[in-house]
Order: sequence, then structure tokens, then C-alpha cells
Amino acid sequence: MNEPVVVQGLTKYFYDESRGEVRAVQEVDFACRAGEIFGLLGANGAGKTTTLRMLATILAPTAGTASLLGHDVVREPEEARRHLGFYSSSTALYPRLTARETIEFFARINRYPAAQIAQRVGELIERFGIASYADVRVDRLSTGMKQKVSIARTVAHDPPVLIFDEPTVGLDVLNALELQERIREFRAQGKTIVFSTHIMSEAEKLCDRIAIIHDGRILACDTLDGLRRATGTHYLEDIFVCYVKGRE
Amino acid sequence: MNRASVRILFLHEMRMLARDRRTVILALVLPLLVMPLMLYVVRSIERQRARSLKETTFRYALSGAEAGTVRRLIAARSAPGLRLEELPVADAEAALRARRIHFHLRALSAAEAAALEEAEVEVSRRRPREEAARPAGVPLVEIRFQGDREESRAGAAAMREYLLEAARSERDRLLRERGWAMDPADLFRLERRSVAGAAQAAGSQIGKFLTLFFVMFLLSGGSVAALDSVAGEKERGSLETLLTTAARRSEIVAAKQLAILCVALAILLVNVLNILAYVNFKLIELPADWEIAIGPAALAVMVALLIPVGVFLSAVLLSLSAYARSYKEAQLYFFPVYLVSLVPAVAAVLPGVSLRSAIVLVPLANVSVAVREVLAGRFDWPMIALAAAVMVLAARGTMRFSTRMLSDERLITAADLDAAAWARGPALFSRHVFAWYAVMAAVLFAAAVNFPQLRSFRTQLLFNELVLFLGGSLLMIWKYRLPVRDALALRRPRAAVWPAVVAAVPAGHLAAAGVFRLADLVVPVPQRLLEQFGRELMPADVPAWQLYLFVALLPGICEEIAFRGPLLYGLRRRFRPATLVLVVGVIFGVFHIALFRLIPTAFLGMVLTALALLTGSIFPGMLLHAGNNAYAYWLARRNILVSEWSWGWYAAGAAVFAACLYAIYRARTPYPGLRWAGAPRE
Repeated sequence: MNEPVVVQGLTKYFYDESRGEVRAVQEVDFACRAGEIFGLLGANGAGKTTTLRMLATILAPTAGTASLLGHDVVREPEEARRHLGFYSSSTALYPRLTARETIEFFARINRYPAAQIAQRVGELIERFGIASYADVRVDRLSTGMKQKVSIARTVAHDPPVLIFDEPTVGLDVLNALELQERIREFRAQGKTIVFSTHIMSEAEKLCDRIAIIHDGRILACDTLDGLRRATGTHYLEDIFVCYVKGRE
Repeated sequence: MNRASVRILFLHEMRMLARDRRTVILALVLPLLVMPLMLYVVRSIERQRARSLKETTFRYALSGAEAGTVRRLIAARSAPGLRLEELPVADAEAALRARRIHFHLRALSAAEAAALEEAEVEVSRRRPREEAARPAGVPLVEIRFQGDREESRAGAAAMREYLLEAARSERDRLLRERGWAMDPADLFRLERRSVAGAAQAAGSQIGKFLTLFFVMFLLSGGSVAALDSVAGEKERGSLETLLTTAARRSEIVAAKQLAILCVALAILLVNVLNILAYVNFKLIELPADWEIAIGPAALAVMVALLIPVGVFLSAVLLSLSAYARSYKEAQLYFFPVYLVSLVPAVAAVLPGVSLRSAIVLVPLANVSVAVREVLAGRFDWPMIALAAAVMVLAARGTMRFSTRMLSDERLITAADLDAAAWARGPALFSRHVFAWYAVMAAVLFAAAVNFPQLRSFRTQLLFNELVLFLGGSLLMIWKYRLPVRDALALRRPRAAVWPAVVAAVPAGHLAAAGVFRLADLVVPVPQRLLEQFGRELMPADVPAWQLYLFVALLPGICEEIAFRGPLLYGLRRRFRPATLVLVVGVIFGVFHIALFRLIPTAFLGMVLTALALLTGSIFPGMLLHAGNNAYAYWLARRNILVSEWSWGWYAAGAAVFAACLYAIYRARTPYPGLRWAGAPRE
């Protein structure tokens, strides 16, 4: 398999006193191609974030395997993370660093060639329009500014695989649209993008292929047209309901 | 571990901490401002108090049959700086309560005093007098004052000194009147002189508190950085961002820990310099005869001992910070951890605690005592090395623990259990096994010290073997639903094992005696201790059959069940076989309480563990253990002292013993489920 992201039988159970055994993700399989935006579409609590956290090696799978560019997330977590940029609404920035220091730190720690870091940081500051506040501490920036710095730090080391976990949560329309535009740019650069959302319109507009996830299981995985053909409905919302209701 | 990554992360941590106003204020500014302010206020209050007392005229009332004598004594002496005024009052006690006088002098004749003592016998029984008992026929002067009033207390104290001096003068005058030729003060001169040098004496005093202060400053200083380091990052959401970078968990832990240690040491340095500055400017006054001289050897040893302490404490702080879900929760946990850490650090202050005791195995406490000894100029090298090794191991263990804490999914998810904790049973036992044996060891020590009923030969052995070892093992099996056959290794070994084990009994005993002699070269055991141990283990009033039962059979069965049963079963997947042998052997040694028995019993424990791993069975170990103890007793009854044999015997014993082990190895049926190289840790 040559796909940059391969997930096979990925399973994750959580345990706690109040809820007992929670089967957050169950035997999930998918593979993402280079230069594609792969969407994980599901309601809150469907297992999207858990799946992506396992891909990012933050959580260990209970069973199954996942690999990024051939690096197993359990056996070679550091190598897997080196090739990965992870962005989510819960991954915050360091408030006491400036925008420039933030991008530089993430480039360094992700082992971007030291000699090229200054140039890379300058490029990203220019490309994301950060120049006017590049030397301002993050805790003094607005939400939109922080979002730009966050995206820049995600790609600081130029990773071939990018994960965006519900990236537009909490953003206003203009910032959300700008983020979507950036994600398209990354696709144009040939990066593999795994994008999770519960917003149908976002998945419809952005994703090349969509996996519908519900109760920790993938119910369907295809292009939007493929899903339309399979269900005989046009809108993604109806397609989603069709699969979820069918499952229930 | 990638050093470049650790460097990047460390610099990042330091930059973050330096930019945190809270850290800078708490760590640097506050001590620099608060301490001089505090000293200034205390000294001002003291000066004001001294001035006020100096200017006070102490008013007093005088009563009783001997009032005239006391009045004459007071009048006969001048008291420079002491202003006294006698007030005529009808009811002295009421005047004292009403604050019209500062104290009341009740001068009683011998008969009045006797009557008073008789009447107050119950009171004095409950509240013993601070003065020596009054000889019969001697009058009593009682200074009655209000202990809750500063001026009353000070006046009473001044009057006491004044009257004692007056009584001495009066006595001397009377002696001279009755023909005593010389000045009573010239009877002899009394001097105290310490044979230890001034530096040694001061070193001993400083050494008692040095580790304690080091721990206090390190914890309070390090906490500023540690609480922010993980708990703060968790709260801000930047921890998840950091965990998705290419940095390893161990690199993140190392960098964070280094940052905590640096901040803690910087704060320690600031505080020490602060104190030195105050000493220099006489804001803090040291005793006049103090002489502080620390040689290069003492300094090197202290650094070698205190660095692992620093690493240990910073790892503890980091683990605490990782365990807490928020900054506030981390602050809540800090105080109990702080108090618990101070307990072993005060070991050096306790009287009679020597480094040549089990204290050498207790992290922090061992360094505390070792530093005191070193500063007093006493270098017990084997014990210092052992203390340092224990501290390094503890530091390494806590570092590994903090790495595991940072890999814990609880950091990210809301789940509060993992699969083992949820499933309970054997998987959870593997995680709890050390805690169980730590509790068992604590009970063993506590029972031996606190219950005199358990000090007799039979009761102590019955309690240890049956209640603690056998009962404790069965309790673990029941609580964790352990499979009895597996947990106790109830398997039949091959027949060829038995003759090898029988031959290994005398050979192993000789080899162990050799090990003991070798250990004695490094840590000599006093003969007195050995003789006392022999008497305790083989009391003359116990019949031989009972001794064989208590010394050989019971330990052979119960100790094997405890140490080659649940302990070995619980740890079998946590360590590889060689480490497993070492760990179980040392735990077995530690349970034999006395430090001088640690090495030989740990050696025996390792042999017995290896035997269990080779045969997969508890039974050969039981035979070897019981056989070894019975053989030792048999030799002792015949006054055959193996410990005095030549080295050739030990070598021969070791060779035969090795041959026996080889025979057992050839007939091996290995312990199932061991963790071999490459297998993941459970």
C-alpha cells in the first residue's frame, strides 16, 4: 500500500467509573491518498477526535494499526509525528511566545533542517500575513490572528500529512472560510489532509472523499458522488441521516 | 534520547518561565523583598520590646512571714538597669489579676511552705514545679506572675535572677562570717571544652539541617516551575500541541525536569545569597564560636549526594504536576507532598540515627544523615556510597515514573481508568504488587518495634510467617482473583531437579558464607551484633524440634509462598528474568530487617528466585530454603563455624553449587509467561 495514511482495524476503548467501558472507536479502516482531503464526518462523540488522536500518537490504540508514511504509530511514534502536522481546536499556542518564536520553536522541535529555519519562518510569516504582529506575544493576539499563527506552526516543518480536527469550531465565518482556503492550498501542494468535521456544508465543499463515522464505526466511505449514488439522495445531510438511521 | 531536542525544549521551558510574571515574582522578587522586610519588622519589634522592658518599673507586692528577710535582701543589693517598686496592697493576688502589680512575691516560712505544699499536692502533681524540691526547714519564696502578660513574665524572670544572686551573696557572706577562708567562687573553676574542632562542631550542627533546608527550598522553588510546566500547560491546551511534535516523551520529561531543577537551584542560590548577605550585614547573627570550613572532599561528596536529591524532587514535582488535571489541583496536591518529603529529610535531626542502619536504604533520609556525617568530618565511605546509590536509583525510578505519567492518556482524555484498572484482577495486581509488599514491610517493621508481645521468638516468627507472609499472600490471591496454581507456581519439576537441590543445600550455604565474608570486608559487621542475632534466633529454652520447625520449615514454606508466589507472579511481566531475580532477591533481603543480613539474604533470595524461574515451581525453592536454614542451625548446634573456614572451602562450595545449578538448568521447565528481551513491558 502506498497511501500516506493507512488505518486498519483501529479500535479504542476507554474506561471510567461512571460510564464503564466506552467503545469510542471500533475497527475503523481507511486509507488517504497524497494530495487529497479525506473527511471524517460525524456527530459529536462519534469517535472522530479519538481516531485522529490515535493517528497523532497521543492515544494508544486498544487494537488495530495505523501508519503515517509507512511509520507505525505505536512502534515508531516519533517518526510518525515528524511527518505530521496536527491542528485542532484543543491544540493551543504558548501564550508567552511571539508568533515568530512559536513558528520557529515548532520547526526546530520537529527537526526541520536548522540552516533553513530562519528562511522557512520568514516565508510562513509572509504567506499567512502575520508580518505586522510577528513579534507580538500570542496572548495579545485576536482569535483570527491566533488561528493564522496556529496554522503556520502546524506546517512549520513542512509535513506531508496534515490532520485538521474540527478546525473551524469557534471561528467566525470569515476566519472559517480563510482556513478552508488554506487547506485547499495545502492540497494543491500535494499534502495528504485528514479533516474531521460535523458541519455537512464544510465536508461537502472541501473533501475529496468522506467517511461517515457514527458510534465509533465507519458506516460509509466514498466520494460525495459515490455516496449520492449509493443512497439515492443529493444532499450530504440526507446521506448522513440515511446511513445513521439505517444503522440504528 | 536526542540531546538537541532536549536542549530546544529546555531553552523553550526556561524562556516560558522567565516570561511568566508569577514565576519571577514568586521565585526571585518575593524572597528578596520579603526576607529583609520580615527581618526588619522582627528586629524592630524586638528592639522596641527591649526598650519598653528596660524603661518599665516593675511593681510588686510582698507578703508572707519571711517578707522582711526578702525586703532586706532586695534593699541590700543595687540592681543596675532594673527598676523595682514595692506596692503595699491588701490583696496581692487581686492586684496581680487587676494588673496593678507585675508580680507577687510570697515569702513563706518553712512551716507555711510545708502547709502550702500539702494543700497543693494535687495541683503540683498535675503541674510539676520547675524548681528543685525544697529541703525540709527551708523557707520558700514564690514569685507569682501572669504567664499570659509579657511584662509580668519579664519582671518575674528578672526578679528571679536578682533574688538568686542576692541569695548567693548572702550565703557567701554567711560562710565568710563563719570563718570560711577563701572566696567560695575559688573552690574550683569549671570549664567545658569540646575535643571536636570548632569547624567539626559547627559542621555537625549545620549538617543536621542542611538537607532539610535543601529539600524545603528545592520543593518550594521547584514547585513554581513544576506546577506551570505540565498542569499549567494542560490548562492552557498547549500540552496536546507539544505531544504531537516529533519530541519523545522522555525528551519532554528530561527538558521539563531540567528546567524545574534549574529554577529550583536558582531560587536556592538566591535564598542562600540572601541569607549570607544578611549574615554579612549582621541582620542575622551566627553563634560567636561558629567556624565553617568545608574541605574539597566533603564538598564533592555533598554534591554527589545532593544532585540525585534534586533530580528526585524535580521528578516528584513533575509527576505531581502531570497527575493533576489543573493548576489549582496541582497546588492542592503540593502541600501534602511537601510535608511528606520533609519527614525523611529530618532524619539527621533525630538523636541516635546512624548511617549504619536501615536508614541508608531510605531515600532522602539516608542523604540527610550522610550529609550530617560528612560535615562533621566522618567519612564512612561504604555507607556513603550505598546511600548515594540508593538515592540515584530512587531518582531514576521517579524519572521513569514521571515519563510514564506524561504518557498517561489521562492527560488528554476524560477517562479515569485504563484497561487494567477497569478489568481489575491479575492485570491490576501486577501494578499494585510493589505497594502490597511495601505495606507488608511497613507492618513487619512497625510490629517489631511497637508490639512487645511479638518480640518473643515464637510469637514473632508465627506472626511474620503465618499472618504476614502466608496470610498476606492468600489475601492478594483472593483480592485480585489470581489463579492459585499459577500465582503460587504449584507445578511439579523434573525428577532430576531434586538431587541437585539436596546437594545445593550445603554447597549453597558455603557459597553464601563466602559472600558474607566478602561483604564483611566492605561493611564489617560487629561481632556483638552477630552473637546477639545468634542468641535471638536460637534461644536456649526452645527445644530443638521446635527450632527446626520455626527456623527451617515455617520460613521454607511461608516465605517461599510470599516471595516466589504472588511477588514473582506479579512482577514476571514487568522485568526481564535477570532483573526479576535481582529485584525479588533484594526485596527478600530487605524483609530480613537487619542491614548486615541484607547482602547474604538478598543473595539467597536471588538463588531461590532463579530456582523458581528455572523449574517453574515453588517446591524446589521450599526444599532449598528450609534445607539451608536447617543446615545452618545444625552446624550452629555443633559449634561448627563455617564463617571461619578458609577461602578454599568457599570456592569449593561455590563450584559444587554452580554444578548443582547447571544440573537444574539442564532439567529446566521455565516459569511460564516471563518477559524476554524485546517483549513489551506490562
